[in-house]
Amino acid sequence: MTGTRAILELDDVTVTFTAGPPLRRIRLNAMMHVSLSVARGETLGLVGESGSGKTTTSRVALGLHRPTGGAVRFDGRPFPRRRRELAGRMQAVLQHPHWSLNPRMRVGQSVAEPLAVLGRPVGDLVTEMLGHVGLEESFATRYPHELSGGQRQRVSIARALVTRPDFIVFDEAVSALDVSVQVQILNLIRDLQEEYGFSALFISHDLGAVRYVADRIAVMRAGEVVETADTATFYTAPAHEYSRQLLEAL
Amino acid sequence: MSLLSVRNLVIDYAETRALDGADLDVAPGEKVGLVGESGSGKSTLGSAVGRLLPRTARRTGGEVLVAGEPVFDLPPAGLRRLRRRQLGFVFQDPIGSLDPTMRVGAQLRLVLGRGADVSMHLERVRLDDPRVARAYPHQLSGGMAQRVAVAMAMATSPELLVADEPTAALDSQVREEVLNVVFSLAADAGTSLLWLSHDLPAVARRCDRIAVMYGGRVVEHGPAREVLGKPAHPYTAALAGSAPAAAAHGARLEPVPGRPPVLTGPSPGCAFAPRCALAVDRCHHERPGPVRVRHQDVLCHRAGEVTA
Amino acid sequence: MKRPDRLSIGGLACLLVLVVFALGSLAGAGGDPDAIVGPRLQPPGPGWWLGTDNLGRSMVPRVMEGVGTTLLLSSLAVLVTAAVSATFGIIAGYRGGYLNELVMRLVEVLYSFPAIVLAILVAAVLGPGQVAASASIVLVTIPLMTRLVRAAAVAVSQRDYVTSAVISGARLPRVLGRHVLPNVAGTIAVQGTYALSVGIAVEGGLSFLGFGVQPPQASLGVLIQQGGTYMIAAPWLILGPGVVLVAAILSINVVGDGLRDQLEPRETRSLT
Repeated sequence: MTGTRAILELDDVTVTFTAGPPLRRIRLNAMMHVSLSVARGETLGLVGESGSGKTTTSRVALGLHRPTGGAVRFDGRPFPRRRRELAGRMQAVLQHPHWSLNPRMRVGQSVAEPLAVLGRPVGDLVTEMLGHVGLEESFATRYPHELSGGQRQRVSIARALVTRPDFIVFDEAVSALDVSVQVQILNLIRDLQEEYGFSALFISHDLGAVRYVADRIAVMRAGEVVETADTATFYTAPAHEYSRQLLEAL
Repeated sequence: MSLLSVRNLVIDYAETRALDGADLDVAPGEKVGLVGESGSGKSTLGSAVGRLLPRTARRTGGEVLVAGEPVFDLPPAGLRRLRRRQLGFVFQDPIGSLDPTMRVGAQLRLVLGRGADVSMHLERVRLDDPRVARAYPHQLSGGMAQRVAVAMAMATSPELLVADEPTAALDSQVREEVLNVVFSLAADAGTSLLWLSHDLPAVARRCDRIAVMYGGRVVEHGPAREVLGKPAHPYTAALAGSAPAAAAHGARLEPVPGRPPVLTGPSPGCAFAPRCALAVDRCHHERPGPVRVRHQDVLCHRAGEVTA
Repeated sequence: MKRPDRLSIGGLACLLVLVVFALGSLAGAGGDPDAIVGPRLQPPGPGWWLGTDNLGRSMVPRVMEGVGTTLLLSSLAVLVTAAVSATFGIIAGYRGGYLNELVMRLVEVLYSFPAIVLAILVAAVLGPGQVAASASIVLVTIPLMTRLVRAAAVAVSQRDYVTSAVISGARLPRVLGRHVLPNVAGTIAVQGTYALSVGIAVEGGLSFLGFGVQPPQASLGVLIQQGGTYMIAAPWLILGPGVVLVAAILSINVVGDGLRDQLEPRETRSLT
């Protein structure tokens, strides 16, 4: 990429899983020659069905899985071998609102955790972050089971933002919520991005949700990226036939 | 005459009111979508059809008639006969609804009776791999397990199939396949369908009629196209406008502020009033009765004005 | 949180009474367990409410001391089991791979021995006594506890809050200590109570066979063994400690059930 430097680049990434007994080992390609890049301040949407490889892509982008082939670069440099070197610069908001927060920790402790990991002072940041995601100060002392699904995802977002990361992965972050709550959370993500300027990878099977928050959209199918285009294209006429199917299904 | 008729049904749990006077009718052969967000009472209503409510639930008022029989007043034998012959159920968690200790084929045979053609029933739900019948539930994918559950529910060709968010736990690709199977089997057998979902556009694509639930009542009921296209209740209008897919490029959706109510007793007025832009004084104090707007039955004091 | 049911409250009360007895014995209540107070093999009566044994000692202080010995021995052993099982179960469950395989195979080997055979083997190696009894209880209870802790840890490790912590850069001790351990603690507590009842039974069995606690110190197993000799002539000798043993095991199991109902439903609630 020229001009603005990409925060995250996947360059020709392939991930192969092996399964089965030693002599009849099956090889599955979860990702095949996938190249993606997320520019600074940009939201890249990633759409695909289950089994399309988008979950693996998310794990590779977060450094939770090492690719079999290809290169991953964060902020222009190869991914460090030790995750800790990126601590605080990269965060995630994940799928299950029910399990996104540790049930044994108060909301405030959960939000403060990324700071504690870095050994940074917490100060008033928890209250401030809760305020930013539209939750009152009193939520800090509650336990997750006292919160609704939408409120828990708000807390997850506060936790992800507390270290002011450069990059956040939203992996099916709204899929399990009621439709009207989905819009509330999607609006929140848009507003916070304007304020904080983080880059994001927004992964979902729902083209409607992806289209609503992303600047560019990549479509995955069977481990390959079949189309990458500006979001506007996905309101009118995507090029690939499979993308058109996704659009028609809305 | 209606196959299913729910009249002013009130169901209470220990401290909360799940249904606050719900009314619903399903005609023979009709496909009805019951739409509502979590906490709206749709699952309670779906379970009440077969009197499958948890032990802590109490019927405070109203009744449920299936083929003219009062479900809540039937003796145990009558209830079992009704469940066996007239009703079928499919739930959210497909693997949890099957017996984990029994092979799929054996479970189907239990429902179908001895000597039944298990493979034929599995083929009807597009599971033609013979290994499926020999598998245990945990060896199946979610989509396959749900199709087995559908095959079991439809094995006796019930008159009414209640499907409570049958695809909520499945991936989107498999969702369409499972729904295709449910709808084609129901059409072949002439079975009425009550499909519970929170996705209004998806329901509108497949159903004849839609009933929208809010605060334990059915607040709007009418032909699918009308309810989605020209909603008469402010809540339905908000729901139809809040799907991310409905937004034009660059537009910003403004969802209804606030959260759905948690009732502890009868709602004094309209349960949606605190979140409703059209609410007037009356809405807070007086329970709305049914009014007819175009093709829809609506519970709203200002129903006529929504369209204006 | 849901209110505990009457049965488990009853179990807890029964257990507390036993603990009070045991503590009372340490404080000297009920008399000296080794003092000879009257004729031999007397049926219950004034001065010896549970009768006297073959040496003329009152059974009341002896049963009290026995309960204390048995409970203390089993509790200490179960604490060791809990610590060992939690450590290996959590690490194996979180890490997976070869470490997991190794721990699980070891546990299966232990599991394949019948409990009493294992206990006798340990006693043969270590020599009869309290140490052998404790070590046996540990070895008998470790396999099941480790397997269940590992299973719980596998499930917890896949939850999103653990992944989020890893993404935040949390080191292994923090992930395990703050996220995995507190969420498998319920399993450990519940299994601990069951292990305690198994431990009591193992102590009883070992001492009964003469490999455990050695007379003159009393434990429930020792008392039952001694009572067994005079079962026809003086049935009260075996009745007192026998009833107490059954009561202890039953009440601990009931408390365990109650604990499970309290701690686990919230964990295993469905996906919705």
